[in-house]
Formats: sequence, C-alpha cells, structure tokens
Amino acid sequence: MKLPNNGANHKTNRYKLLAIIIAVAALVVLPFCIESGYIKHLIIMACIGTILGMTFSMLYSAGLITLGAAAFYAVGAYTSTVLVMYAGLSFWVALPLTVMISAIMALGFGALFVRNAGVAFVIISLIFAQVIVIAIGQAEFLGGWGGIIGIPRPDSLGPVEFATKHDFYYLILAFLLLVVVVYTALYSSRIGRAWRAIKLSPNLAGTLGINAYRYRLLAYVIGSTTAAVAGCFYAHYFQNITPGAFSGWLSIYVQLYAVLGGLEFYILGPAIGAVIMTFVPEYLRVVKEIEPIITGILLLIIILFFPGGILGTIRNSANVSFEGFDARVKKIKASLTGKR
Amino acid sequence: MFLEVKDLIVHYGKAEVIKGLSLKVEEKEIVTIIGANGAGKTTTLRTISGLKTPSRGEVWFCGGKISGLKAHKIVRLGISHVPEGRKILAPLSVMENLEIGAYLRKDKKEAVAGFKNIFDHFPILNERRKQIAGSLSGGEQQMLAIARALLNQPKLIMMDEPSTGLSPLVVEQMGLIITDINSRGISIVLVEQNARMALNLAQRAYVLEAGKCVLEGEASAMANDQRVKSAYLGG
Repeated sequence: MKLPNNGANHKTNRYKLLAIIIAVAALVVLPFCIESGYIKHLIIMACIGTILGMTFSMLYSAGLITLGAAAFYAVGAYTSTVLVMYAGLSFWVALPLTVMISAIMALGFGALFVRNAGVAFVIISLIFAQVIVIAIGQAEFLGGWGGIIGIPRPDSLGPVEFATKHDFYYLILAFLLLVVVVYTALYSSRIGRAWRAIKLSPNLAGTLGINAYRYRLLAYVIGSTTAAVAGCFYAHYFQNITPGAFSGWLSIYVQLYAVLGGLEFYILGPAIGAVIMTFVPEYLRVVKEIEPIITGILLLIIILFFPGGILGTIRNSANVSFEGFDARVKKIKASLTGKR
Repeated sequence: MFLEVKDLIVHYGKAEVIKGLSLKVEEKEIVTIIGANGAGKTTTLRTISGLKTPSRGEVWFCGGKISGLKAHKIVRLGISHVPEGRKILAPLSVMENLEIGAYLRKDKKEAVAGFKNIFDHFPILNERRKQIAGSLSGGEQQMLAIARALLNQPKLIMMDEPSTGLSPLVVEQMGLIITDINSRGISIVLVEQNARMALNLAQRAYVLEAGKCVLEGEASAMANDQRVKSAYLGG
C-alpha cells in the first residue's frame, strides 16, 4: 500500500540511498587502496563470512536457529570441486549445477528438518553439519580427511582471468551485492512479512492463513543454496579444501557474526560481525591456542550484556539519549513555569 | 448448517480437556461460550480454527468437514480466530500488523480497499499506523487484532475473551464493535469470562463446565437462569 510520506521520511530515504551509494563505491575502490595481499585475502574471507552470516539471519528471520550454517557451505565447495575436477566441467557450468544440486538437497533435507522448529531444529542442524563433515572425511574419492588440493581457479571470462585476488574480490563482491539485493527484496515482500509473523508467533501466523512449514522450508532452501554458492567460490579461490575447514567451529563463528553485529539486523549485522570476527582473531594470532576461549568469552559477554549486538546497542542507546534529551527539556520547561 | 461441532473430544497429552462437546452456530448469529477457567472454552476455539486436532468428533463448516485441516487452510474457508493473550505482533508497527493480516489477499488493490475499510471503521488505527503495536493501549491492541481478523473477509469470527484487561468504558466500546461486525452479516463466536456482556450481545449461549456443555439456550433466558446467575453473574 502506498502511504503518504511526510518530508522527514523522504529525507531519511535520500540519506539512506546516499549512504548505500558511498558504501558500494568504497567497496569497489577498496582493493586499489590496499597493498598487502594478506589483507586482501582477509577482506575476501570477510565477504564470504558476511554471506554465510546472512544465510544464518535468513533462517533466523523465519524463526529457525541453525548451528549448522557450514553444512551447505561444504556441500557447495565439494560439489563444485567434483564437477570441475572429476567431470571436467568449466567453473561457469559447475556453478549453476551446484546451485541446482544444493537446492534440491536442501529441499529434501529441509522438508524433514523444518517440521520441528525450536530446539529440535537447532539440534538437527548441528548434527547434520557434523554428519556432512564426517561423511566427506570418510569418502576416499573426496580426498578423505586430507582434502583435495589443486582446485583450478575459475576459467577466464573475456579479459578477466581470476588469477589475482583483485579479480576474485570483485567476483565475490558481485555475489555479495546480489545476495544483499535479493534478501532485502525478500524481507520487504509478502514473503518477508510471513516470515516475521512466523518468527513472532507460529500459531498466530497459522490463524492468519500462513503455512508456517512451507515458509520455513523456503527460508531453509534459500539460505542453504546461498551458503553453497559461497562454498563454491571459496573452493576455487582457496584452491584446496579439507573437511576440517567446515567443522562445527565454522558454524559457531557464522552464528557469532550475526549475533555480534545484531541479530535483528539481517543484512548489516552479519556484515559488521564478519568483518570484526575475521580481522580481530587474525591480529590475535599470538594466542591462537586460546582463541576458542576468547571467542567463548566474547559470545558470553554479548549475550549477557549486549543481547542486541553492536547495532542493537547503538540503536538502543540512541533512543535512550533522545528520551533523555526530551526529559531534560521537560524538566527545564517545568522549572521555568514553576518559577513563574 | 453453518458451523457444527459434533461430539468433540480433545486431549492435551493424556488429559482429556473436551469431553464430548456438541454445538451449533447459525449464519449471522452471535453465539457465546461461557464458563469458568479451564472449562475448555479456549480449547474449543483452537480446535475449530485448526490449531489443535481433536482425538474424536468432527467440525463441519458450510457443508464441509474441517476437523483435521491445518489452521492456515481453515482461515481460507472463512473462519477467523482472534486468539487470547498476545494477539498482536508487538514489535511491528500497526500497519505491518495489518499487512500481515491481509496476507491472504494476493490482489494489491483488494488489500488497499481492505485497509481503507478498516480505517473507516477504526479511525484510531489510521492515526497510529506507524506506531509500534506493542505501545498501543489494551483496547487499541484488541481493535488491531479484530481488524486484522476482518481483513481475511471471514464469514465467522471467533473471539477469545476480547474484554479481558480492558476498562469498563472500553469493554462497552468493544461491545459496539462486535454488534457492528455482526450487523455486516458476519457470525460471531464469543468466548468470555465477562458473562454479563456476552449474554447481552449474543442470541444463544452455551455454558461449559469441565469440558462438557451443561446448559444451552437463548442468551436472554440464560441471563435470568438462577444457576447461571449464581455461578457466572455474581448472584
């Protein structure tokens, strides 16, 4: 429904648009400002992390909490690798095939998994991710626990060769922006409204005519397929994959991206969380052995003291300070009238 | 028959909550179900709207059997349920609540017409449409829940204790809203603890006790019945 917009709203919309344009422009010129290949690598990994975090948020938006965000990331990476290395397909053929295969897999498993939302789904998602990793580790033709090395880079596309981190960054950035656009559109559509209703109250959603099962399944399939594409890019970027790279730790990290950035911010939250969680542990390299402890403490601190994450905390404190300002104005006004 | 519930038996786990309940609702009628806490009023509504599956017995609506169907299918047939407790999506705005309520209206023009209709009847919701639903007063939240149920163009609305927690003045207003909805040809099943108001509004009434119907009949006669008076109308 078109609602009459007042001036203030128009202005914030314009600022929003401006902010988006500046952000995209900054992301496009970013690699030219950075010399170090190591930092470029971290930026690429942060982009992949952001995408994975957004898939977690996609499921969360429909009331599903997954502890197995890495499951389809692994499925995508291995599917594409097999298609390229064993079937001899071009990356650009393997990519859409990976999308199709993982979507069908997500539909099949999801149809079983999302019957039970709540704790049952959390546990099933965790077990599923572990089973995938173990299954790959046991499979000789997938390289077992040693993984697969020497995965080729994507075939060149005209003048673009994907031999450098530069080109790869743009490839992953393009996909990231596509995910952002598609997800944003979904969240603001009829589908997104149905998800929100289901997340807030599945029973109420039912009495409004929303088929909660089908919408949860939709979120699961979209999220899983996106993760699979991210996995496909990762395999051909990193050029070697091992089951260990898709362990339960990764799933916990992905969840942390969304929680740290702000659970209720489905797009920006994972982005901020992923950037922080990619760069901070890298600079804490000296204490690699105790990294899990630090991660655990960080998670505890967020849950106990900042349940809204970074963005949620900023929004709340902004509201509070506005309220505080209003209260002060009232106080001053009251004291003035009192004096009279 | 418009709505008919036949020999309904409903369990929560192993506990039998509804023990063989039968009731009927005619077209354009207001029927009330009264009874003490735990008598099975809410469970009856939840079973009719498909949130709960009966262990035995049937529910028929407009000539078709609806017991066993899922809630999202039943609402499509024309039964809207205004549940008790948290009836609104509190963190969302009033408008977003209504948009979700209009979920079944796939045609945008129809949805807009539906919103206009709602705002004509509930101008306060138009004023508050950008406000967060959780910040509305109790009466406004109840109005929002009813408005949202109306967006699905129901033939029958079931309301679960619409007057709970509202001031006497707002309860009176709620009574007017219910009469108004009924005058548009929509049947109403009203579950109430406020038996006085319910018996005033309704044409017929059922009294539930421990999952069974112990009394049924004309609402006006019921209001004068000694047993009802002493049990539900405070002497």
